[in-house]
Amino acid sequence: MKVLTTNFLKCSVKACDVSNDNFPLQYEGAKCQLVQNENIEFNPEFMLNILERVEWDAVVRVVSELGNAGLPTTKPELPADADQLSEEDIIILRDLHTLLIQTSITEGEMKCRNCGHIYFIKNSIPNLLLPPHLA
Amino acid sequence: MLPTPYVKCDYEKVYEPAEDSFLLLDSLEKDLQFLQTRFDGNLAIVCELGPGSGIVTTFMMQNNIPSHNGALYLALDINPWALEGTLQTATLNNCIKENGHSGYLEPVQSDLTTGLRDKQVDLLVFNPPYVPAEEVPEIPDTKENIDQWLDLALLGGVDGMEITGKVLDSLETVLSPKGVAYILFCARNKPEQLVQKIMQEDPSWDIELIEHRKAGWEVLSVYRFMHK
Ligand SMILES: C[S@@+](CC[C@H](N)C(=O)[O-])C[C@H]1O[C@@H](n2cnc3c(N)ncnc32)[C@H](O)[C@@H]1O
Ligand SMILES: [Zn+2]
Repeated sequence: MKVLTTNFLKCSVKACDVSNDNFPLQYEGAKCQLVQNENIEFNPEFMLNILERVEWDAVVRVVSELGNAGLPTTKPELPADADQLSEEDIIILRDLHTLLIQTSITEGEMKCRNCGHIYFIKNSIPNLLLPPHLA
Repeated sequence: MLPTPYVKCDYEKVYEPAEDSFLLLDSLEKDLQFLQTRFDGNLAIVCELGPGSGIVTTFMMQNNIPSHNGALYLALDINPWALEGTLQTATLNNCIKENGHSGYLEPVQSDLTTGLRDKQVDLLVFNPPYVPAEEVPEIPDTKENIDQWLDLALLGGVDGMEITGKVLDSLETVLSPKGVAYILFCARNKPEQLVQKIMQEDPSWDIELIEHRKAGWEVLSVYRFMHK
């Protein structure tokens, strides 16, 4: 699962929807295996579109749980249009591409900060299904 | 005609593409222009519920639907074999890391959209289990209970609407403000009545029949849901 995807997953337990702690899930850095795939191509238009959607605080939090403390605390300001990107903007976007798209969690655990339920990532696929008594 | 993906899965475990799958592909192809205009390159998340073999998601990735600017394609299935099948189909059709395709695929095992952050999906696509049955089958205990996973692909409980009903109820929470959903029905789901009812209750919905076709003894249809 790409690091980007952590920004779109919350706890599946319905009762957790009323809490503010069901997103982002908490990643157990020591138990997460990260793999980088440099073949995944950079797409600046997509990066701009997705960054508009991303909840930056959640990115910073998850990435630091995964062992990288180097992100700025506020979302980088970028032009709306890929044609207007400066060289510096491109460098920022490329770094984010490496971090969010090229890096995936191949094995790992993520926990809801509200109910404590633990979800697993196996073979790069996150499993958000709940056991019958919670569904 | 847009190219259709090459699909090869183990159909003992994963739903084999059929008339319903193809009707969904045709609906997306028919609405290509509409989707490009509606989003104008500004979108982030495409989500297919129940991708099965991955034919629909791969078709969208292969043909840059809805935009050449790419998207994150979330493929959410309850069946673990379907997620492997989806990855395999996307890989077989060079949609994983090849040039020319600007999207990124992410298979996720989940029960519908219960694990998605609210209001993020720009394009939602669903060919649901729509066959009327006494009840929706239970989720198998293990990955190895093969036939039970296939039952989940077909049987939709009362009126064949128990699963689709849940998705319709959650559309408001799941779709982004501009979001559009394409959902497949069979005649026994009584889609016309349903659509009338939804639009009466909330006139801000804009729902249209995009394609319909007789397939054996079924009449299948695809409706498009969005806010005006
Ligand atoms: C009719 S098949 C469609 C497969 C594929 N999209 C196609 O068009 O060929 C329905 C799919 O929905 C999945 N499904 C059934 N119930 C589900 C649920 N509650 N959450 C997620 N996926 C589900 C099944 O596993 C199956 O892959
Ligand atoms: Zn929870």
